Amino acid sequence: MIKYIGEHLLIGQIGNFIVLLALCSSILSAFAYYKATVNSGELSEGPWMKVGRTSFWINAISIVALFLVLYLIIYNHYFEYKYAHQHSKRSLDVQYLLSCFWEGQEGSFMLWSFWNAVLGLVLIKTAKKWESSVLFTVALVQIFLASYLIGIYIFDVRIGTNPFVLMRNEFPDAPIFQDPDYLGKYLTDGNGLNILLQNYWMVIHPPVLFLGFSSAIVPFAFAVAGFWKKDVSGWVRPAMPWALFCAGVLGLGIMMGAAWAYESLTFGGYWAWDPVENASLVPWLLMVAGIHTMLIFQHTGYALKASFLFIILAYILELYATFLTRTGVLGDTSVHSFTGEGSTLYWHMIVMMLIFILLPLVLYVKNQKLIPVITKEESMNSREFWMFVGSLMLFISGGYIIVLTSLPFFNKLFGTKWAIGQDVEYVYNRIMVMVALIIGLLTAIVQYLKYKDTSRKYIWSKLTIPTITAIVLSALLSLFGGISYEKYGIGFLVAIHIALWAAVYSFIANAMYFFVVLKGKMKAAGSSITHVGFALMLIGILISSSKKELISENRTGIAVSGLKDAKGRDENPLENITLIHNIPTPMGKYTVTYLGDSTETKNNKVYFKINFKQTDTVQGKEVENFDVTPNAFLMKSEEGTQLSSNPGAKHYISNDVFVYITSWLNPDNIKDTAAFRNIPVNSGDTVYYSNGFVLVGKVLTANKNDNPELPLVDSAWLSELTVVSKEGVKSSIAPAFFIKDGQPSFKTDTVMQQNLVVGLQRGANGQVELAIKESSAVMRYITLKAYRFPWINLLWLGTIIMFVGFMISMYHKLKSKLYVV
Amino acid sequence: MKKMHILGLVLIAIVIAALLSLLDDLSTYDSVESARKKEGKFVHLIAKLDTSKPVIYDPIKDPNYLAFTAIDSLGSSTNVVYKNAKPTDFEKSQRIVMKGSMQGDVFQCNEIVMKCPSKYKEQGVAPTNAVSAASIEEKKSTQP
Repeated sequence: MIKYIGEHLLIGQIGNFIVLLALCSSILSAFAYYKATVNSGELSEGPWMKVGRTSFWINAISIVALFLVLYLIIYNHYFEYKYAHQHSKRSLDVQYLLSCFWEGQEGSFMLWSFWNAVLGLVLIKTAKKWESSVLFTVALVQIFLASYLIGIYIFDVRIGTNPFVLMRNEFPDAPIFQDPDYLGKYLTDGNGLNILLQNYWMVIHPPVLFLGFSSAIVPFAFAVAGFWKKDVSGWVRPAMPWALFCAGVLGLGIMMGAAWAYESLTFGGYWAWDPVENASLVPWLLMVAGIHTMLIFQHTGYALKASFLFIILAYILELYATFLTRTGVLGDTSVHSFTGEGSTLYWHMIVMMLIFILLPLVLYVKNQKLIPVITKEESMNSREFWMFVGSLMLFISGGYIIVLTSLPFFNKLFGTKWAIGQDVEYVYNRIMVMVALIIGLLTAIVQYLKYKDTSRKYIWSKLTIPTITAIVLSALLSLFGGISYEKYGIGFLVAIHIALWAAVYSFIANAMYFFVVLKGKMKAAGSSITHVGFALMLIGILISSSKKELISENRTGIAVSGLKDAKGRDENPLENITLIHNIPTPMGKYTVTYLGDSTETKNNKVYFKINFKQTDTVQGKEVENFDVTPNAFLMKSEEGTQLSSNPGAKHYISNDVFVYITSWLNPDNIKDTAAFRNIPVNSGDTVYYSNGFVLVGKVLTANKNDNPELPLVDSAWLSELTVVSKEGVKSSIAPAFFIKDGQPSFKTDTVMQQNLVVGLQRGANGQVELAIKESSAVMRYITLKAYRFPWINLLWLGTIIMFVGFMISMYHKLKSKLYVV
Repeated sequence: MKKMHILGLVLIAIVIAALLSLLDDLSTYDSVESARKKEGKFVHLIAKLDTSKPVIYDPIKDPNYLAFTAIDSLGSSTNVVYKNAKPTDFEKSQRIVMKGSMQGDVFQCNEIVMKCPSKYKEQGVAPTNAVSAASIEEKKSTQP
């Protein structure tokens, strides 16, 4: 037995104890709340309730303590712990230490568990008669979340992954653990945090997203409780504010994630239909569908079954989303899929999903007959009919997305090898543009309908003005907005224009509903405000996506004839442009110059300074001039230094210019082995090089004696040369040779495209010589991509308005008489 | 509820139409050999970079031209051309999924998805680092 030096074992033991405590207290809490529910109204209800409550508090406190312990381990750089070693390192900025939590599996589950505990505590205070039955489900989730963290072996199967495992226990065969001082000698630093996560959005967006994620449990728990306690319609009221809360926060969290993708990933956009994004979008769609059907139920008594289905499915799909993104099922399909924890987490999560499917299913089947039946049909002129259509639309679009996202899982289940074809985004977008169109129209019109029935006269009197305004405005937008997205043909372009009209319509109709019908009264304004925000988001999405512009379009590369894809469309333009240091290069309407770079040694980060200039060709006036500073981390590896790029941006109100470096020649890596070749020449000679020839023009000689305008040097030799490459490209250069105070100096000139450096020299006998070097290391250059996103700010503004709208709705639902627990 | 039934049927029809339109856009995961058999067809090729062959990328000549050799788990290899910038960590990647199609002898690739140890922190990376650190340490100590 080796006695190791410098380990901090106590803190890990405390951590392990807390994990066990969290698990046991959640089991006790769930059991006690179960007993309290089934003994409801009897003498034993009170004591069971007390036990449930106390143990839930213990569970909540232990989760907080767990956070503190793990934070201390990361903060103090105890690299004997695998979590600290894998996700942190000494040079990491303190503000990113929190991101270390989110990067790992265990930290994410802890965050989820933390919010779940907080929500549970709020419910203990507010749920009143629903407390025991609702808290049972919440505690059930806590059991599973704690079980993901215990990491104990039962018959060689490891259950969960423990955040406090030691490196030497995890990798017992590594030779370094033969050395008692392995910490002082080998494990002196950690692997560090994935640099993509070193971004402020990454510090704040996971907590928000996870709060939205966790809060879906509350409507779920109320729905389950309703069927459990045979109050099949009573659960809707208390669940409603929570559903609104969940939709608001989850929506905000998703869009904050989108902002992160926009600012730090190099996808060239905020949304890529990546499985991780889809998996969080689909529960949101279902939650929103559920809110609408619950509203229908509250006002008319219809749609109770649909409400139950949507609310239950929203949570199950969240579990499924976690399953897809955490167990490695997605494998090769996701750009940012997480580490798979192997088959134990796979089955562990399947068990959890099955329980959360069976629990509502069994209760539903048992109490189905209690659901009130309404035989009267909805009127076509009623609000509820069209709201239901909208909810179904959301449900179906969610289904479409989740089926496509699940292809890798289906492949695993059925041994198939299917994948979405060459244009993933279009496969989604062509359906979603239709969904946007229908949802836009519905959100515009349906507010003006009344529940039960509405007279045609009323509809027309209210809708005429918004309809005409929207048609005029969107027609103007279509005519002068320059939306000509022809990549997928005329059909898709028309769909975009119609969807844009629907979105504008929705924006105007809802804004007018707020001001004209509600007269600005906030009490019922939540839905109008939410819809205004949503409509703005749609407008922002449609405009920014269809007008997204690749500035760095490069058509100078080797053109391959007949490069058309299967659908006969033109191949994507080549996206990268190389800029040579200090050489202004035309790029779209800009002239772009790579001004230089500077390295921050602490983080091994390089900042590039790139100037964009736009000149009005008619007037010759400069209309735009700005610098962007994209940066990149340098990652040393055996194969040389690698680059991990962060975009630089120029933000305007109406558009953003994004630039990111795709390739850079690190000066450290330059090994210029090529040598100059000296050739004696006279005017009119031709000198050959590997890719063409050089025509020597007149050689000019000047010295101070006969040329007084040459004050800086004593003598000078100049020559005008023409370089003609094999391809027939001609370029002129003028190298020179100077002598000052007996010391020679050179002014070489280069032909960048030909990697050619040419200088002038004087041979021993006074003969002029041409010095030619062919080298790829002659210049500093970067390769970059640049995009312009127009009107992206509409999307962000819409997101905020939508969030505010959800919160207003929630507030007024809590206040209203409808909310009686 | 007749109206609802009609609505339901309409929606089912929409779903079927959407899924049918999808069939056209599905492709498959393939090996080099099976991709060769489907020349010209869009596939997902799973392979890894053959590090014994050169990786050609010269941003000065053409920043949108990357050529390399990929070898799959069955041992067959193919030349690949990717008309874009060389992805970060390309040489470090363990597995690459290439989306594109076989054109003659060359796999014309539109998109590359990589799996890298640095990004995905796979288990087992740490001990190999530790082992190499240990061996370096040993070399140092043998020198006087």
